[in-house]
Amino acid sequence: MREQSVLRLGKHSFGPRRLLLMAIVNRTPDSFFRPGDTWDEQTAMDRVHQVAAEGADIVDIGGVPAAPGSEVDAGEEIGRTAGFIAAVRSAYPELVISTDTWRHDVAREACAAGADLINDSWGGWDDKLAEVAAEAEAALVCSHAGGQAPRTRPHRVSYDDVVADVIARTRTLADRAVAAGVDPARIVIDPAHDFGKNTWHSLEVTRRLPELTATGWPVLVSLSNKDFVGETLDVPLDGRLAGTLAATSVSAWLGARIFRAHHVAETRQVLDMVSAIRGDTPPARTVRGLA
Amino acid sequence: MIVAAALCPAPPLLVPELTGAQEVAPGLRDACLASVAELMAATPDAVAVVGAADRTGTWSDGAAFDLARYAPGPVRGGQAGKANKVPGALPSSLGVGAWLLGHAGASARRILLAVGADEPVSRCAAIGAELAVESGRVALLVMADGSARRGLRAPGYLDGRSAGFDAEVESAVRAGQLDRLLEVDQVLARELMAAGRPAWQVLAGALAGRKVSSEIRYCDDPFGVAYLVASLRVEPEGAADE
Repeated sequence: MREQSVLRLGKHSFGPRRLLLMAIVNRTPDSFFRPGDTWDEQTAMDRVHQVAAEGADIVDIGGVPAAPGSEVDAGEEIGRTAGFIAAVRSAYPELVISTDTWRHDVAREACAAGADLINDSWGGWDDKLAEVAAEAEAALVCSHAGGQAPRTRPHRVSYDDVVADVIARTRTLADRAVAAGVDPARIVIDPAHDFGKNTWHSLEVTRRLPELTATGWPVLVSLSNKDFVGETLDVPLDGRLAGTLAATSVSAWLGARIFRAHHVAETRQVLDMVSAIRGDTPPARTVRGLA
Repeated sequence: MIVAAALCPAPPLLVPELTGAQEVAPGLRDACLASVAELMAATPDAVAVVGAADRTGTWSDGAAFDLARYAPGPVRGGQAGKANKVPGALPSSLGVGAWLLGHAGASARRILLAVGADEPVSRCAAIGAELAVESGRVALLVMADGSARRGLRAPGYLDGRSAGFDAEVESAVRAGQLDRLLEVDQVLARELMAAGRPAWQVLAGALAGRKVSSEIRYCDDPFGVAYLVASLRVEPEGAADE
């Protein structure tokens, strides 16, 4: 077992006990949750203002939905994200900016525009991504997508042991990134709930999260409004907040360090509460029984 | 000699332990079990289960479906996940077939035959022809799915060609004209994620020259995958010529 250590994102360093909130900002007309909500550039910037005020540590800016749908090529993806990243960078010099992409050419433009972190949810499908992260001195998320091609859905996937597969894949990607020259303090792993997984697999990964944190790599979890929450509780998209927050608090307790979320204010409260229960941060205001 | 055949899809969700507390697709499961019951009513000496898999091969009679590959964890109808590993677990098409047989209480000897997803039509038909000359009374349980690209929420998203593709398969089965299944294009089937293509063609090879009538028991795509359940009634050998 390796101990968790300091994570570096942009110019910041975060200790192992710090719980980081990554707010989702989609530059897409067709993402699964609230499609088109921040398609318009001004609305997207308003969303950044809002999530920054609500306590986001990182904004994750993406130009392509995870689900299959109309083709978005690299040029279009760059057009949707790079200029916007530059605008966010200039408005928020201190905010960590993440680019949600699996394509190295998009990541390169995003980093040039100011992104600090490359969030690849598709398990290293593009093997040049690590080189781009190294060149740009950016951080990299190494995820497990079960070998699935980007923007595909799992279909009858099965594993001898899904957690072993997640660890093997994310370790391989992390080792490859280090070999490519990425700063080991800038590498994060993500089991990627729902990606190449059915609901049972995502629940198992959540339950056995300590096996992932035992690798020593900081763990990111992306739980927000996902199908595994919907199927577990039998609720539609707009009814998944409570389940998402429950999974968030359990994951925080089990050692995850970055939480990718749509509902920023609620997620911030959950993370702050877990931090206080763990004794890592003091409560905000305590007078009860103390007067 | 093949005395009866049934066609069923092979989604793991047919197994209730995999679908959680609520019942999923009971109508589909009932249709599959009815087709298996009819198969067993033909009093076969053996049941040959045919399904597509990564590569061609046979599995031992007692091989079972490893549910833990799909639903790891402590809670699944009381079964333990990790502690319950099945050695030599079946590919899902055969696993679901074996599960249907077990659930229906079928006790006949099993022949579990996987057909490689890339086997050409000629090889599939030849595998079917070999089954046709097995000794004794053989019932054929063909586990085959249509396109998994039948809608925006489908596993493979929407491909507009899937509707016509699956309709042709259904029409061939409905008419008892199984030779038409030999014309299903291998490349198109792959593009449409129609995993059943090799198994359909084994079926056509196995019943070549036999007179077949069918009852369609289910034909729908509730999750974006075309599911077709049919009982295939085969006239005794030689009857077709009279």
